[in-house]
Amino acid sequence: MRANWTLVLFPAMLFSFLLLGGTQFLFIRAGFFEDLGIGLIGDELVLSNYVTAFTDSFYFDSLILNIQVSVLVVVCALICSYPVAYVIARMRSQQLAMIMLAAIVVSSFVTIVIKVLGLIIIFGSDGALNQTLVGLGIIDQPLQVVGNIYGVIIGLMHYVLGFMVLMLFSVIQTIPRSLEEAALIHGASPYRMFMRVVFPLSLPGVVTGALIIFNLCMGAFVSAALLGGGKVLTLPVVIERTIVLDIEYAMGGTLSAILLVSVILINILSVWLLNRFRKARLVIT
Amino acid sequence: MSGSKKLPKALVGSFVFLVYLFLLAPVIVVAAASFDGGKSVAGRAFLQFPPSDLTFYWYEQIQPRLWEALGVSVSVAAVAAMVGTLIGVPAALGIVRSNIPGKTLIATLFRAPLQIPFIVIGIAFLQTYYYVANTLGIGVQGTFAGLALGHTFVATPYVVGSVGAALQRFDIRLEEAALSLGANRLTTFRRITLPIIMPGIYAGALFAFMVSFGDVPIALFLTSATYTTLPVEIFHGMEFDFEATVLAISTVVLLGSLVVLYFIQRLVGLDVLLRSGGSG
Repeated sequence: MRANWTLVLFPAMLFSFLLLGGTQFLFIRAGFFEDLGIGLIGDELVLSNYVTAFTDSFYFDSLILNIQVSVLVVVCALICSYPVAYVIARMRSQQLAMIMLAAIVVSSFVTIVIKVLGLIIIFGSDGALNQTLVGLGIIDQPLQVVGNIYGVIIGLMHYVLGFMVLMLFSVIQTIPRSLEEAALIHGASPYRMFMRVVFPLSLPGVVTGALIIFNLCMGAFVSAALLGGGKVLTLPVVIERTIVLDIEYAMGGTLSAILLVSVILINILSVWLLNRFRKARLVIT
Repeated sequence: MSGSKKLPKALVGSFVFLVYLFLLAPVIVVAAASFDGGKSVAGRAFLQFPPSDLTFYWYEQIQPRLWEALGVSVSVAAVAAMVGTLIGVPAALGIVRSNIPGKTLIATLFRAPLQIPFIVIGIAFLQTYYYVANTLGIGVQGTFAGLALGHTFVATPYVVGSVGAALQRFDIRLEEAALSLGANRLTTFRRITLPIIMPGIYAGALFAFMVSFGDVPIALFLTSATYTTLPVEIFHGMEFDFEATVLAISTVVLLGSLVVLYFIQRLVGLDVLLRSGGSG
């Protein structure tokens, strides 16, 4: 009986792992060739692309910018999504909670291209928001969002916020309400109850969610390319340009490998840091 | 309840409202602006929100190119979801039920495509297709098969994740009961196991479809000028100045997504999507 399931697993494993191993090996290998211009690639394996990527500040800066923007978006998304997820999870009316969740699902399922299209209409200099704000005299100049870092951050927030709410909701929902009531009855203020009971219990979900949306942000291309207006050069944007505009396939491979390795390293590092932090806290309290 | 407690509640309430406004406004604006008559300046239309008048003009003007791209998107996403399900369901069954050594590693490897940035996946498949074209002489870049394979790669982990979650909640005694009552293995699987994990399969397949349907960074590299998906068309249209018809076809897609979600809600309930979690 057991052997059956291994047999069932095997073809799926073969297909998936061949595809994973094959594509990843070939693109990493491609990054070690030399670009000869107009899309041609040399025959010898060299390190020159990596030397360029780490010495040319253009490439290195785009990686740093990519990480900074992603961290910022993760923090903002956490701050925005936690209250929403909490409110839905603790809602008395089951029906209203369902409607609010459905709205999140709908907005998450719409492709990001269409949402960015909407954002450009809203935040465009002659868009609805700017006309209203200027009309009310709140601002003198229309807010410029397309073509700068704020636009990219807004776009990325749109990309990840829905996912984060759904993930946090499923975690907070599993925390028994009775724990909160117990804390409140014993005299904890709502703030203290939240910080000492709810938040610590949801922490594993927060960390998993934060890492997932961090990865999404690191690889996000559409928001960065369209709302950055070609001026905010995060690594995914630079990779696309290297391939499509400069036709440097090898360099594109190199930069992709650097992006991939950075993402994996940051994931490992944060899990490791968190474990250390947790152990240290256990000793103190 | 005292006034000091009501104030934070109102604050939290308005905060939640603002987040919803932020999330839903772009979608509503796109749909509303697509019905605007617009001012046509030198052949280009400038639509506005709120719309000044209501017209279906831009829907009639949608270019055949965009409809074709929509067709490509739907068929590629359908194939990716189907193949992803055919691979993902056995994979989930195998991971949860077999006692093969190194299960954690196998599960991690099945999840791996989710950790790889989409743009990297796009480049990796592009390089692989070049390699295949150079060594075997088979050109798959810019074809249906090439694109569907790339999307299957990212779609499968969603099916593995949601079906795996359904299997872990599964009460194995139900199968034992069926077997002890004389059903054979195949009947047990078909009549007991499959119906119970079906919501997980629907959820996984739907995620797979939507991931493939919405994707730009992978399709950008695996499509060609003549064979392309709708999101890539919209993306290219937006890189400069978008035409009003893009808003119209986007609204068609929005309506389509709503219809799909409605049927999912009727069929298995939207909460199945929440329980299985998009993260896989």
